[in-house]
Amino acid sequence: MEKIIVARTGNEAMAEAMRQINPDVCAAYPITPATEIMQIFAGFVNDGKVKTNLITVESEHSAMSACIGSAASGARTMTATSSQGLALMHEILFIASGIRLPIVMADVNRALSAPINIHCDHSDTMAERDSGWIQIFSENTQEAYDSMLQANRIAEHKDVITPVMVTTDGFIISHGMERLEMYPDAEVQKFVGEYKGPYNVLDVDHPITVGSIVLTDYYFEYKKAQREAMKAAKRVILEVGKEFGKTFGREYGLIETYKCDDADYIMIAMGSTAGTAKAAIEELRKEGIKAGLLKIRVFRPFPAEEIAAVLAKAKAVAVLDRAESMSNQAGPVATEVKAGLFDAGVKVPLASYIYGLGGREIFLEDLKNVYRELKNIAEGKSKPEQAKYIGLKE
Amino acid sequence: MTIKPNLKTWKDITIGGVVESGTSEHFHTGGWRSKVPVWKKENCIQCMTCWAFCPDDAIKVVQGAKGKERGEFDYNFCKGCGICPEECPQNNKALKDLKAKDASLKVSPSTATGVPGFDEKAAILFVGLKEAKDKFNIK
Repeated sequence: MEKIIVARTGNEAMAEAMRQINPDVCAAYPITPATEIMQIFAGFVNDGKVKTNLITVESEHSAMSACIGSAASGARTMTATSSQGLALMHEILFIASGIRLPIVMADVNRALSAPINIHCDHSDTMAERDSGWIQIFSENTQEAYDSMLQANRIAEHKDVITPVMVTTDGFIISHGMERLEMYPDAEVQKFVGEYKGPYNVLDVDHPITVGSIVLTDYYFEYKKAQREAMKAAKRVILEVGKEFGKTFGREYGLIETYKCDDADYIMIAMGSTAGTAKAAIEELRKEGIKAGLLKIRVFRPFPAEEIAAVLAKAKAVAVLDRAESMSNQAGPVATEVKAGLFDAGVKVPLASYIYGLGGREIFLEDLKNVYRELKNIAEGKSKPEQAKYIGLKE
Repeated sequence: MTIKPNLKTWKDITIGGVVESGTSEHFHTGGWRSKVPVWKKENCIQCMTCWAFCPDDAIKVVQGAKGKERGEFDYNFCKGCGICPEECPQNNKALKDLKAKDASLKVSPSTATGVPGFDEKAAILFVGLKEAKDKFNIK
């Protein structure tokens, strides 16, 4: 297949993906650093490059509410936001997943206030980890583009019917220009396919009520149904990722492993830091340190078994969190990894780190030091610490 | 609509709580009331004020000798709100708000479950949902 090689920022790539998907409706409110996605997309609407009905609203709470109305009316619906915007959507996110609407959202990871900060960390996305949305993280612009093209297929699959958010790291990916391989519009549209919504509230021949009250009698059953959909999502994400690979040449899974096969020391990271870790591994391998990376691409549903299987052979593991949960324990990713290891009966020394909050830079040397600490832990020279801050002024 | 008397499991409920229309017909809300209005036909002037004010569908319109006229209460849907006696221009001569002690005014069991009880609403809704599932090919 012909590939179009272009230079694009993460925001441009996500807007291009949306142009190719050509959703029926987008409802959005601007927020740094995600503003550009909808700004560029609004240009596509204005130029007649898409047939999308773009709804400008007065807040993110309204944006997600409008998305729900649209999706419940049988329209393929997408939006984009970040940080405080995602937080303002909080209440409505649970409704979107609860009434099972396959909305797709681009979320550009940015720190939550206070202090007010516009730069990258994962605290906005992590705060919505229990919202019932599928969460896919991107290492770079290419992954952001590719995952956006897969998101509708996953969200709309009959066994899933659950909203999906695809995230990029604020500024690092969203505003960083990279080489991007795009695919022809017609091929993308063929892959994404026609929209077939779960129901249509505007079908006057089959009138329905959406969003009715369900109390102690059946609320519980609805949550179980959602849980099963999340379980099915693991299979569907793999199926779609495989088909994407066959069609466009890049296969995607729940996790990505980099040099883990013979690795003594494995680091777990998400988002753009995974790229930095790969560079660190290359340098450490020259020093004879067998380092590997486990990148979590899909945080919801959480690939616990898959992670435990990779970590089973490691001598020491480091989990990097770009969010604080203020629990006095490890960050959210490390906590989930540990729970997965416990369930799988895998006992491995595990150190957890917090880094990059509010856009604090993470350097190659920082990550190399993490691997060196893992080596010391494995050799019994030090004990694994929890929630150790990397790059803190102290 | 075929109403089956068994309650549904999580596997049977439809996607996202979608409810088919018209299910309230099978959900007898009369069970909520503490008071019940009684109609005295001999004092009724057929002004239809009560019919217009009834927030549910508890006052039936029937075919009379001179055309359509007010019929008996459908107590399955009367929640005892007291609006009809309040609005009656006959000053309680035609409609009285009484304590519900008369066994004949009992609410009949909802048609969905065959038994009155807390789960009946859900059962009715979900039977409706099941139909919605079939209609919309929802898995």
